[in-house]
Amino acid sequence: MGSDNMQKHLFVLCSLVLATFSVAAEETTDTPEHVIGTQAYPFDTADPRVEEEEPLELPDSIADKLELLAPDEIEFLEKGYAGPLKAIVEAVEDFTPQQVQAWVSAMQQVRENNRYVEGRDLPNIPFNTESAEFNAWRLQRPRSMDPAREPGPVSLGRYDGYGGPPTFGGFPLALSKQDLVAGEVDVAILGAPLNMGSGWRDSGERATADLRLLSWPMGGHDQYVQIEASEVLTIADYGDVAVDNNSTERSMRHVRDIVREVAETGAVPMIVGGDHSLEYPNVAALADVYGKENISVIHFDSHYDAWWGGSHLISHGYPVYRLINEGHVRAADYIQVGLRSNGPDKSGFEWMREQGMRYHTMAEIEQRGWDAVLDRVVAEASEEGRKLHISFDIDVLDPAFTVATGTPVPGGITMREAITIVRRLCAESNVVGFDLVELHPALDPTYRTTLNSAHIVKACLTGLAMNKEGLTAEHYLSPLASEHALDDYYGDQQRYLDATKAEQEADEADEADESE
Amino acid sequence: MLAALLLPLQQTAFAQWSIPDQLSKEQAEFISSGAAIKFVPRQQLEHEIATRDAVSLGHFIDDLMALAAEMAYDPQRDMGAAPLNLASERFNRGTLPTPAPLRDFERQPGPFSVHRYLFPRSGVPTFGGAKVAIWPEDLVAGKVDVAIIGVPNNMSSGRRDAGSGPNEMRAMNTIATPDIQTLIKPLETLSVVDYGDFRVDILSTERTVGHVTDMVAQTAATGAIPMLVGGDTSMLYPGVKGVAQMHGAGSFGLLHLSAHPDVERFSDHTISDRSALFQLLDQGIVQGKETITVGLRGPAVDVDTLQWLRGKDVRYHTMAEIQHKGFEKVLTRVQREVDNGPDRFFVSIDVSVISPGEMVAAGRRTSNGLSIDQATRTIRHVCAAKDIVGFEITDMAPMLDLSRLSVIHSNALLNACLVGIAVRKADLEPDYVNPLALDHGQR
Repeated sequence: MGSDNMQKHLFVLCSLVLATFSVAAEETTDTPEHVIGTQAYPFDTADPRVEEEEPLELPDSIADKLELLAPDEIEFLEKGYAGPLKAIVEAVEDFTPQQVQAWVSAMQQVRENNRYVEGRDLPNIPFNTESAEFNAWRLQRPRSMDPAREPGPVSLGRYDGYGGPPTFGGFPLALSKQDLVAGEVDVAILGAPLNMGSGWRDSGERATADLRLLSWPMGGHDQYVQIEASEVLTIADYGDVAVDNNSTERSMRHVRDIVREVAETGAVPMIVGGDHSLEYPNVAALADVYGKENISVIHFDSHYDAWWGGSHLISHGYPVYRLINEGHVRAADYIQVGLRSNGPDKSGFEWMREQGMRYHTMAEIEQRGWDAVLDRVVAEASEEGRKLHISFDIDVLDPAFTVATGTPVPGGITMREAITIVRRLCAESNVVGFDLVELHPALDPTYRTTLNSAHIVKACLTGLAMNKEGLTAEHYLSPLASEHALDDYYGDQQRYLDATKAEQEADEADEADESE
Repeated sequence: MLAALLLPLQQTAFAQWSIPDQLSKEQAEFISSGAAIKFVPRQQLEHEIATRDAVSLGHFIDDLMALAAEMAYDPQRDMGAAPLNLASERFNRGTLPTPAPLRDFERQPGPFSVHRYLFPRSGVPTFGGAKVAIWPEDLVAGKVDVAIIGVPNNMSSGRRDAGSGPNEMRAMNTIATPDIQTLIKPLETLSVVDYGDFRVDILSTERTVGHVTDMVAQTAATGAIPMLVGGDTSMLYPGVKGVAQMHGAGSFGLLHLSAHPDVERFSDHTISDRSALFQLLDQGIVQGKETITVGLRGPAVDVDTLQWLRGKDVRYHTMAEIQHKGFEKVLTRVQREVDNGPDRFFVSIDVSVISPGEMVAAGRRTSNGLSIDQATRTIRHVCAAKDIVGFEITDMAPMLDLSRLSVIHSNALLNACLVGIAVRKADLEPDYVNPLALDHGQR
């Protein structure tokens, strides 16, 4: 027997995320937040977006086709597990009662085999705990192994910072919390070569190395706002964090420890490189320092990354959901920008809306225009009291700009748009963390993607410097750089002349203060 | 006063180190036991002991001892297993074969063409343009000799893109070209099918191993030779294990062409490319004395590893041997080891065995190496001389080679074994060369 309907039904069956009850995530008491030993995940893992459907009423017209079905098989159909009523009626039409029974029983088998069964399926992914080198991947080099030096960021270059091995932006290298504290570091750029994303995988050590090679824009002079971030901020390359590229889950805790270490000093951690699973430990670490539900996150991405319900508890599709599930961030403190991938479907959008999550899709940008959405996003992110983490997946950009990313999606924002919004957010909001993820350098022999990624980091560094200098006015641009003011073409020549003059006077006053 | 302590070291003469006697008993023992060598190179340790004052040396050794204490697993501190979502409604999604009543339109079992035309030039890409089989009954009905299967696991410890290997090797349709030595067209001599891919869990090699093992065993049980196309080299483990479930552990030899020995003994993971061969040997799935590995070099080959291989009776042939003795002599030696070995062999190629000049897309590429010509001769011989129970080619990461030459060469390596199997089926000598190809015959 067989029909294309069956194929369709199997598809419906598999894609229907089957019913579970909607339960708010609750942390069971006295369980450590970090998973240790072989303990199960101490949070609820059911997906609340999956709701029990109203039972179907099977029409009498197909009763004779169903006559051989046992009560549990009838119930299977009534629960909608075989698809909507119309599909059931169509499917059984061509079948004998025996065939109907075989059909339902096969679907039951698929449903049962799909779920975890104790004794049959591995309940977790065991590591080799017998290994004498179990933690070798994350052991840190004691300071005493190298010649004693005062704590503080170390410049690797012989010539005023130049001529050394490549660091992010050519900034001095810090390797410990003491270095950050002693150097009063404002921003610590941390490489995170996590290489477990789907799509193309090349976000490992090549990503952080290549980004260092091409990171000269970082901290450089910004023409738009006439600021050089590296003159205003103390910025350090904080090395790479160790990851286990055979297990995302295992990497999460160590990344969280290192990011927390940075945030505890008051420096802004900027995590660059690897796959978007990193958003989870990055934001969790900020919540460790600033308190749960005290962090807002703006998530730039073509994907919403709040998927859930697969067999794994973390992947680059899950970080948003997991952060919310564990109570680090309220869904209402999430802002999503640039969504345009296949999903989420209606249930995902409904869930975001119910949770109070602000989303700004490419559909909104198409409808309202970029400028309107830009102002709206910056206003939301800059609301009073928000401490903001920016999670920037480079696939929010159009693949024309960032072809070297694991899961590119055409139709994205441009570099010009991205630079502006990142600079504005870092200037106008209270940014306490930033990550740039999903760089896969091998896919782009022209280096364009890596260079563009460095320019996104630069935009935030510039913004942070503006923030420190008090240039937090809405969409500040240098009046000198943005208008020659030699004629009155736009009718506002005087305004630019005045503003330029005011800035000159302020600069002169500053210089006078400093010389006193 | 200073106490002189001896370090038990293998390679070099014992160093006589003077260490301050202010050190505690534990500190002194830690140094004298050689445990510190794990964390700091011997030369540097000597330097530190010679130059530091007692206080500074004490701190230094304390730091090293703290590292030693943190190195091993501690259930109170470390994650011993990665948890999974046991409430998932799709916990096993992807690995479930469609039950018969839910399959497509009925068809008679047997391999089928995916082409509209009798002599197709393009269309749906399959390995070697071969017919497609989906179920074991297709293999049985078609009396299939060789089932070529993709296993797109993508967890290489080198550059990652081996998951794209199977489809790229399908798309670059150069398998089954006639062999110039024998003038054999393997697909005309053998019944070969594209048996699709075996599903992997892209986030866990551990979870992939079980399914791939089962599917390989099921394939071998039909009488077809599973030829696996990786995927990274961790898949060598389920590939060989699955074949062993059919033919019996230790019942066949293994020829492993690779730059990397893949016998990491201390891994914190239960399986990875670096420990695939170790798992096979350690579990007795293959026997050391019937394991031949050719082309070793690179970061994982050190004194300990070679001694371990020797201790396991593994026949290893490094690039040092090849460079020193010449390839021809080594090939002869390998062929003799194969010929004197068991009747049945599993052949495994990690493409890193090839020199990066001809295989720039090897995930774990390492300078030097065999040429394609040398490797194909080695492979063709074993596949012609022995009953092949399984074949695997792994760790080709296509994105590293814009020219796609690495894909063509990978197909050539696979084709070499197909030709060998065809030579054997035609009852020809293993190193048979067709006289027509050897000489134009003109005076």
